[in-house]
Amino acid sequence: MFQRILFATSATEACDHAARVAFNIAAMNRSSLHIFHVLGVPTRGYSQDVMDVKTKEKVEVDAEYVSWVKEEVRTYYEEQLKDKADTEIEVAVGFPHREILRQARAINADLIVLGRSTGQEADSVYKKSMAGSTVQRVARAARCPVLTVSRPAASFWGGLSNIVFGTDFSGASDKAFAFAVELARSLGCELHIFHALDVSAMLVGKAITQDEIEQGRREALRRIRGKYISGMEGIKNYTMEVWEGIPFIEIVKYARENYADLIVLAHHSRPEETEMSTIGSNVEQVIVRAGCPVISMNR
Amino acid sequence: MKKILIIDDDPEIRDYLSTLFEDNGYQAVTAADVPGALQTAKDERPDLITLDLDMPGEWGPRFYRHLSQDKELKNTPVIVISGLSGNKYAIAKAVASLTKPFDREELMSIVNETLNPGK
Repeated sequence: MFQRILFATSATEACDHAARVAFNIAAMNRSSLHIFHVLGVPTRGYSQDVMDVKTKEKVEVDAEYVSWVKEEVRTYYEEQLKDKADTEIEVAVGFPHREILRQARAINADLIVLGRSTGQEADSVYKKSMAGSTVQRVARAARCPVLTVSRPAASFWGGLSNIVFGTDFSGASDKAFAFAVELARSLGCELHIFHALDVSAMLVGKAITQDEIEQGRREALRRIRGKYISGMEGIKNYTMEVWEGIPFIEIVKYARENYADLIVLAHHSRPEETEMSTIGSNVEQVIVRAGCPVISMNR
Repeated sequence: MKKILIIDDDPEIRDYLSTLFEDNGYQAVTAADVPGALQTAKDERPDLITLDLDMPGEWGPRFYRHLSQDKELKNTPVIVISGLSGNKYAIAKAVASLTKPFDREELMSIVNETLNPGK
């Protein structure tokens, strides 16, 4: 399913749980794993001086320094690398999101794996120069699916066998559905198709009767049947469900209650998603809160 | 006598826990993998389960998912005992999660509290 996985890492504890996912998925799929580390951010403009991400010192980057950092990354993942033959370690200098997107294009990655934002570390070098997180920016603009492990809870706990596909019935969701089906088929997974009926307007005073909510649920279930069932040939084990509430909370809850190993979501379909446009807030919230890895797709 | 199912692929851990539980007045049964554990759980109806996470083949969380789908077994309390980092996050509904090497006093206190509440 995945031939080339790009695992973008700070090679720190922040990415340990994502590393477990990346190495295990690569082993399951016999994929080549490209470990990619942005070693530092230029101190200004096109300066040769960069702020090293790990040491937090200003350094001049030359071939020797790059090779030293590569060795550091190799040492950090020494245990996992023992069991994985097909791996590459690459390092780069620059703004992490741009370098990750560039590297993903360069190797024609079919999956990018990201860990939690280093923004949770008050003195993160990545964060000093950029607003917003690398995860958000990569997820918005990547050409391939992006798998994010934001919390230790979302790490690898023994395989992918139970996928939740969350849909808002958009065109982008159709693409995510096709991906979820392909994944479920190739790995023999159970597939849960889920829609959250957004009733958050009630929180700001809009009156929605229970009859309207239940009518909405029935309509959404009918749409799921009409839109997706015909595309699920070969998948015997599937369910369909619609819950009302605040969408991101309902998706996270539904995945937790069904012991999902993976959530697949699409960003809202907008004609021109770039790394600078805002990510769909529900997708972003699911990525941050989910208790399992989340694959987001934007095209 | 209350019965505890020990699920771990490491025979030394299974022996150690069996002895510990038997010395404390419980009956112990063991399983080395998820399929075996499911069968043993159905046959033996344990009052409590200790569960390793990282095992060859299927992992512990997969066992818990199967367990939760069995109407006879779904309320059986589970204690996670694993060397995996972040193991407290693996099974949200576990009674407790202990990291190997674990403190036997702490484990017995959790087991006694779970199986004999209020005593």
